[in-house]
Amino acid sequence: MGAAEKKVNAMDSVKINVTVNGRSHEREVEPRRLLSDFIREDLRLTGTHLGCEHGVCGSCTILMNGQSTRSCLTFAVMADGAEISTIEGLGSIDDMHPLQAAFWEKHGLQCGFCTPGMLMTALELLRENPSANREDIREALSGNLCRCTGYQTIVDAVELAAETMRGA
Amino acid sequence: MSLDAYIPESRQTEKPRDSYKWIGKSMKRVEDPRLLVGRGNFADDVNLPDMAHSAILRSPHAHARILRIDKSKAEALPGVLCVMTGEEAAEVTGPLPSWANPPVHQYCIAQERVRHVGEAVAAVAAENRYIAEDACDLIEVEYEPLPAVVDLEEALSSTGDAVLHPYRGDTNVALARTFTFGPVEEDFAKADRVIERRFRWPRSGGTPMETHGAVASFDPGTGKFTIHANTSMYNYCGWMIADSLGVPAHKLNIIPTLAGGSFGAKLFSHKPCVLAATLARATGRPVKFMEDRIDNTTGCDAHGSDRVYYAKLAIKDDGTLLSLRTHIIDDYGAYFQFGVGQHGNALSQCVGPYQINSVEVELEAVLTNKCQQGAYRGFGSEVANFVIERLVDGAAAELGMDVVDIRRKNFITPDQFPYLIPTGNMYDSGNYAAVLDETLKLSEYDSWRAKQAEMRKQGRYIGIGVATCQERSVFSTTEFWMWNLEPGGEWTSSPDAVSLKIDPTGKAFVTLHSPFWGNSPETVVVQVLAEQMTLDPADIEVTYSDSDQGFNSTGPGGSRFTVMVTGAVVGAAHKLKKKLLRIAGHLMEADTADLEFRDGAVSLKGAPDKRLTIAELANTAHYFRLDLPEDLDLTSGLDTSYVYDHPVTTLPAKDNSHMGIFYPIMGHMCHIPVIEIDIETGKISFLNYACVHDCGTMVNPMTLKGHVRGGVVNGIGSALMEHYHYDENGQLQNALFTDYLLPSVLESPDDIKIGHVVTPSPFTEYGIKGGGEGGRMGAPPALAAAVEDALRPLGITIDELPLSPSRLRGLIREAQAGQP
Amino acid sequence: MKPAPFDYVRAENVEEALSALAANAEAQILAGGQSLIAMMNLRLAKPGCLIDINRLSDLDYIRAEGDELAIGALTRHTAAATSPVVAEFCPLMTAAYDFIAHRAVRNRGTVGGNLCHADPSSENPAVAIASGATFVLNSIDGERRVAAEDFFLGLYETAAKQNELLTEIRIPKAPAGQGWSFQETSTRKGDFALVGIAATLDCSNDACKDARVVAIGVDERAVRLNSAEAPITGAAIDDTSLTAAAEAARDSVDPPSDFHADSDFRRDLVFSLTKRALSEAHGRCGKEG
Repeated sequence: MGAAEKKVNAMDSVKINVTVNGRSHEREVEPRRLLSDFIREDLRLTGTHLGCEHGVCGSCTILMNGQSTRSCLTFAVMADGAEISTIEGLGSIDDMHPLQAAFWEKHGLQCGFCTPGMLMTALELLRENPSANREDIREALSGNLCRCTGYQTIVDAVELAAETMRGA
Repeated sequence: MSLDAYIPESRQTEKPRDSYKWIGKSMKRVEDPRLLVGRGNFADDVNLPDMAHSAILRSPHAHARILRIDKSKAEALPGVLCVMTGEEAAEVTGPLPSWANPPVHQYCIAQERVRHVGEAVAAVAAENRYIAEDACDLIEVEYEPLPAVVDLEEALSSTGDAVLHPYRGDTNVALARTFTFGPVEEDFAKADRVIERRFRWPRSGGTPMETHGAVASFDPGTGKFTIHANTSMYNYCGWMIADSLGVPAHKLNIIPTLAGGSFGAKLFSHKPCVLAATLARATGRPVKFMEDRIDNTTGCDAHGSDRVYYAKLAIKDDGTLLSLRTHIIDDYGAYFQFGVGQHGNALSQCVGPYQINSVEVELEAVLTNKCQQGAYRGFGSEVANFVIERLVDGAAAELGMDVVDIRRKNFITPDQFPYLIPTGNMYDSGNYAAVLDETLKLSEYDSWRAKQAEMRKQGRYIGIGVATCQERSVFSTTEFWMWNLEPGGEWTSSPDAVSLKIDPTGKAFVTLHSPFWGNSPETVVVQVLAEQMTLDPADIEVTYSDSDQGFNSTGPGGSRFTVMVTGAVVGAAHKLKKKLLRIAGHLMEADTADLEFRDGAVSLKGAPDKRLTIAELANTAHYFRLDLPEDLDLTSGLDTSYVYDHPVTTLPAKDNSHMGIFYPIMGHMCHIPVIEIDIETGKISFLNYACVHDCGTMVNPMTLKGHVRGGVVNGIGSALMEHYHYDENGQLQNALFTDYLLPSVLESPDDIKIGHVVTPSPFTEYGIKGGGEGGRMGAPPALAAAVEDALRPLGITIDELPLSPSRLRGLIREAQAGQP
Repeated sequence: MKPAPFDYVRAENVEEALSALAANAEAQILAGGQSLIAMMNLRLAKPGCLIDINRLSDLDYIRAEGDELAIGALTRHTAAATSPVVAEFCPLMTAAYDFIAHRAVRNRGTVGGNLCHADPSSENPAVAIASGATFVLNSIDGERRVAAEDFFLGLYETAAKQNELLTEIRIPKAPAGQGWSFQETSTRKGDFALVGIAATLDCSNDACKDARVVAIGVDERAVRLNSAEAPITGAAIDDTSLTAAAEAARDSVDPPSDFHADSDFRRDLVFSLTKRALSEAHGRCGKEG
């Protein structure tokens, strides 16, 4: 098929298959549909938040194929075939991930709006660098804005989680 | 008037104690689990069947007449349900709420003229937000540009076409008034010298991560609106929104969502509610209006203070501070929703912690073509703190006095409380010297001064700043109208309420009538109720009422919520405890005076094994009426509510010689940052940051510290990098987060040391004082002082914020050019 | 803030991408999208057609090819930033990555996409010019190569034609003993630079044989400051020559003013950062090979 035949008209849909938190979803989306809106509205997973929609605040951060990604700067069609992890897949209130438990312990959140983005970013960090120190943590979180906490307790929480995860 | 006659009696029923079971514990927050797993219910998460989405067409002009709107192409776009102009909206929707008197008219969609870039010119409801924005692109508007009013001092003399609200007169001055408290003239005559400065406090804003929004629906069967929104004050004055919508107050129910931060911005976020509801009525479908970030930065109605101060501090050569004169020009933007409430607020503590004898405040509030001001953490007092602290540092510099000594010399002393400042407000209690001493210790001040001396020899620019500031808490509504020239809406109630019940199984349910902002209302309530009734926190459930079910509740803001909700919980708990004691006494055949609450039960004093658990008592109360005393006033069940009024507030004098007591629960803080400046790049790095806050009795030290830290970082933003910058045409240059710079983790100190001193309030339950705003109210003057101290070798004074690298480098270059 | 509609082509290989580019005059390339999608969300960019090249794994590589480093245009920043091959062949690029955005953006953004976007405050264009990079452009008409110093024309403007796809960046290996430095000042770490300086220095017997100084934040594109290189080329490296170079750098630019930084400040930064960059580069001279 030549490229001309492949072109999808703006108003038509593209069929995509996205695995989110281990579950496969087949949907039809407009080319311009943002991954953030796909997650929040099409899949009804509203734990991923929109703070700016221009890639600065980090509230929309998810993992795509294990890598932290700003879902507001990704089209859903680009996630076709990808594995997405959102906050909803991290843990439950009865079975929290060490990161969630550590944020709770260390008061790493106040309003909770930036928190899912922080957690997913921290998850990537600790998977790659289980011995991350405070400097590593601060560097890793530098792309996630928080207006409530002043950040210190978020860093404390990630530090505690790293310790827990190393010990486990 | 004698102090006794002036100050009402304390209504405190719970005195501070040496130890508690739950109060004072850094308990993990009750709010957190659902937030941690991504199940917080924020406004944009609300999803109603058949819901439509809306977007606004934002004005590209700062000031213009709207001549013509052609919405035909937009309306023809598939998926568009409705395109509404300001004129059309005004047929069914009235002006938005405003406390200013006389009011300044604002509409959810501009009619006839636009008054700031970003103001809504039209609104679209469509099947989704994408289509709504496509439709906005298709709306054609013809404007006739008018002069853009941007400079606040120039705005004082606007006339003709430059006037934003001609129906108020041919001026942009919204309010001009001078108050003189005490013998200012005399005190200035006595002075040895006067420290005179011009200060510029820049416009910033709360800018929480979550924008403002609402989901509204209209039921044509009942004529009733339902609005889910992240605004506060829906149970205080939500009826004003009904008013704007042209329906009676009981035909509107507002359901609170969680708010993703507020810092004051969501105090009364009426516009998204009115807009969404207007579109819902027009389309016959639920409509969501969620600000995107540009909607927010350009039109949130919540920018912070934007002021010029011409300030004079009269002093004696021995360092005694005598009197303060300030001429203030405040740029309110295009509207005036809270009048000059921000200046009522500033009067509460404008003399700082010092024994200054008299104050004169001349205020000119001016309207310009910018987003209007709302509330931002400090609500105007943070600027007053900056001004007085800069003046005191100026005095110290001129006198060759140590910055710590001059403060200590002028502090109000512990034996002087309750203390009345010249404006009439009361400081309820405090020990400022103790806070200062604790901070000097915590910050290792002497050691840093020694290090500074060494580093200076190496040619490094190290600065240490000391700021000793007030952090008032629990505002009274009088601050919103005390400046008004004409009477109108002179409210004096600002309560907060809770409903409390215990179910037949002994579980407690507390209903809050105010929202969650990221403060910790559920945790505070659980701790206080557990303390009151010896319940297990795990047996307490906290929910939020809507406006249909709600009681009068002012909500968070002005650092009031912990104090107020504690008062309400105590009041409600007392009522239920009384009933439980009566029931227990009856069942146990004991005098209620011999009974106490202990370990979740009512037991005999001295014989705790003789007990009935609260669960058992509750079961009896609910189901066994005939086992209860016959008294008719004793009914089945265990439910109550309590509306807790402001613990101590009085009216301004009729002649305004004083403003009464309006913000008396007075916390205090000292901030000591240590910074280093790279004088070539103007970049600042933190070497140390220590602060001590006295917020009276602390319910949860961990969450209080969280507010302090968050506030300090907000303050760092205001001091070093945040400024909503409008150019000469009224274009907002930095509506995006790429250019409006919020501190990230790397711009925030990694170890903000926080200490506490506790001087309880004699007026609040347990002696609690509020502390939600303090961090932001202390950091800016402390940082300005530190920068000035660092650049002392160059003789630079700091009178303007933010201290961006560009500004600092400019000051340094100028100073170096002036040196031989 | 939602993007305007666009037609969409998902290319499975380079040929498809090239023919789609040729067939659609309004088509643009969608790589990482970290710059493009942001602009589209703001509706500052409304391309009629996007050609998604994210499947072109053939363009995602970092290879040592003799004396040259070959980076496939689709290489993600994260890979480039952490690559030991890049560190060996072009340590200047590795140093620049300290200043480039944040992790999530680096995970998706591509080296090629960033270069083609040509933001005047972007770091890699300066790195490319300083290291004498060549860009390989392909179209249905064939292949051509453009030197980095000829590639960046102005604000978001490059020498790439509409129907061309940047497929590879070739960088000559830094000569043995070459020192390098990347200095940048921004209000917050990771922000666009107010001013940035990329510098390389080749020394012999403590005298400078060759110097390259490239600035960002002073013009509509990265610019080489030839006049800054003159005072130190052939001279001994000391405070005098470094200062002269820095002064020449400052005098050669006419930077813009905006509310973040006025032109005087940018000039000051050019001076300070040039001096620091050359000094640091000098300190690294001779440590390799």
